[in-house]
Amino acid sequence: MRSRIFFVLLMITLGLLGWGTYQALVVAPPEATMGDAQRIFYYHVPAATAASILFWCNFAASLWYLWKRSPVADAMAVTGAEVGVVFFSVVLISGPIWARYAWGTFWVWDARLTTSLILWLLYVSYLVLRNSSEVGSTSVLAASLAVFAALDMPIVYMSNRWFRTSHPQPMIGTPNLNPEMQKVLLWNMLAFCLFALMIAWFRYELERISQKINHLHIQKAAHGSMAMALPLMFFFADDKLLREKMVQHHYMVAGYVAVWTIYIGYLLFLMRKLARLKKEEAELRAG
Amino acid sequence: MQPGRFYVLRGENGAGKSTLLRMIAGLNEPTEGSILVFGAPNRQALHQMGYMAHAPLLYDELDGMENLRFFAQLYGVDSDQPLVEAMQRVGLDPVLNRRVGQYSQGMRQRLSLARAIFHSPRLLLLDEPFSNVDPESALQIAKLLAAMRRGGNTILLVTHQIGLLSNLADEYLMLSHGQLVDRGFMPGVPA
Amino acid sequence: MKAAQAKAGRRSMSISRLTWINVAKDLRLEWRSRDVLNSMLFFSLLVVVIFSFAFSPTAEESRRMVGGLVWTAFLFSTIMALNQSWARELRNGVLDAYRVSPAPAEALFFGKCLGNFILVMLLECLMAPLFVVFYNLSSVGPLWQLAVIAVLGTWALVVNGTFFAAMSIRTRNRELMLPLLLLPISIPAVVAMVTATTDVLTGDFSPMSQIKFLAGYCVIFTTACFLLFQTVLNAE
Repeated sequence: MRSRIFFVLLMITLGLLGWGTYQALVVAPPEATMGDAQRIFYYHVPAATAASILFWCNFAASLWYLWKRSPVADAMAVTGAEVGVVFFSVVLISGPIWARYAWGTFWVWDARLTTSLILWLLYVSYLVLRNSSEVGSTSVLAASLAVFAALDMPIVYMSNRWFRTSHPQPMIGTPNLNPEMQKVLLWNMLAFCLFALMIAWFRYELERISQKINHLHIQKAAHGSMAMALPLMFFFADDKLLREKMVQHHYMVAGYVAVWTIYIGYLLFLMRKLARLKKEEAELRAG
Repeated sequence: MQPGRFYVLRGENGAGKSTLLRMIAGLNEPTEGSILVFGAPNRQALHQMGYMAHAPLLYDELDGMENLRFFAQLYGVDSDQPLVEAMQRVGLDPVLNRRVGQYSQGMRQRLSLARAIFHSPRLLLLDEPFSNVDPESALQIAKLLAAMRRGGNTILLVTHQIGLLSNLADEYLMLSHGQLVDRGFMPGVPA
Repeated sequence: MKAAQAKAGRRSMSISRLTWINVAKDLRLEWRSRDVLNSMLFFSLLVVVIFSFAFSPTAEESRRMVGGLVWTAFLFSTIMALNQSWARELRNGVLDAYRVSPAPAEALFFGKCLGNFILVMLLECLMAPLFVVFYNLSSVGPLWQLAVIAVLGTWALVVNGTFFAAMSIRTRNRELMLPLLLLPISIPAVVAMVTATTDVLTGDFSPMSQIKFLAGYCVIFTTACFLLFQTVLNAE
């Protein structure tokens, strides 16, 4: 019964993703100053929204876990963190690719970007803690860290707002969207949030199986690709290349390729984990 | 288990004997259920328990009395009197200025025992107290335990060396894979 | 008879009293072995010397630069101190003896925090003259502000650091986990410390908003650590 709902939703999600991408690439009008490179925006913003929701889930689940010590809460916490980090990495990679074109630089240290980077670092440290802590103490420690991370986020945001007012603030986001673009954005928002939901659901089920087999191995093969992307983001030196020389099209393609590599890489990682868990389960039953 | 008796926990390695002691002492959480000591949840009866592990649980840089004084203050015991008595009972010199890091293993175990008993706990939890200890210290410890047993304290001891305890212990409990599989009176314990 | 004797020596165990007992014990242990202070001093000295080879700033330049340099040196020294201080509790398993006693975990936490705080403040007092000498440092703003920033900043680092160090006891790469956990969370505090210090040294801006921010940060995280420490200590 549940797997039928899953399958149906999966089909809907894939359909919406296809539709959303079509809308983003073909239907949406090119933006006045940035042309095709601006289309990155159509998956950048939904990924950011999905990641935020997932991180909130992690915070709520961690609080619940600290209160009730339920394994369901723990599974939701790790799901929220892990899938959130995947989607947030997409944000942190597509953002600089777009920024390089739009502002000529990969990175600026303004309030929102700095907050995002720190949030990403906090959740990566959360995942590392889960990975390297002793079995039995993992869930409690991780939940405590999640509470600290959640406490820190508003502080980070405010501190950046207050202490960086002397620095120039480049405009982020596009406050005046023409209605056609808004429609495309909304389609993509729906598609990507559903996509995030499907991946999170898959991850959650995996975690429950894993809990039931009493193994909490979490190997992070996928982090290899994220580690490779990291150097790109610290390229925040201003350079002298003129805008005319940059090809808008190349940036758009680069964005899509990078992002889908991450998604597919993560899905492959989850499949491999599922296969391994199934094997363990079979061994346990036979033995 | 009944108060005032001396129990020995036996079982092969990994059977869960140390874990059981740690759970009673409040160091590990049981996966199911709760533990009552003298009618109260174990975390509220901490001042009535004394715990000794085969690690010495002492600060190397402090000497004997300084170690005991620190732990005494944790239990709310302010005078030196019970500490001196405890050291004498385990056969150590209270005036000795040597840092614990320079003690022999036997002396360390004896001091660790002194740390466990100075506050006159009603329940003593001992995890392998005789491991790596010279025979003379081991005998001293055994004599002290016998005296405590006579004084009405409950003792729960984990060890592989049954020989020393055949005349002291009342009952043995056999654990395997975390379950209680056998219990009986001593002597008459299968070798 | 034994019970009566024991009762005679017993006094009420308040958290503040036990905290001071823990601080005294930690300081005494440190005095006997001096490993924490030595490694911190050595490290800070290295930083000062190496960087003064790298730049020989004018008085004006040094005022802009030293804030970041100083706090980097102190941040990493603090991390070393924290790792060592918990390592001491794990040697011989002494931490278990504490947990088995009726003493509350919060007293252990605050004792450790205060002990580490005292050590790091000691380090800062020892290193300050060196910074003045090596970098031709003179402050435009008032010195009492620097003292306030030092106290608040050090406490912010130490309180979170002690908490995360306790967390990393139960992880595989203990020494690595502490900076990994501590640094992201401390970023806002470190930014505030550095900008405040620079502002006081250069006299360009008033550091009062940063100081208030640091005070708020300390309050929030001290409370959070206090509430969660027992949970983290007993996570087994």
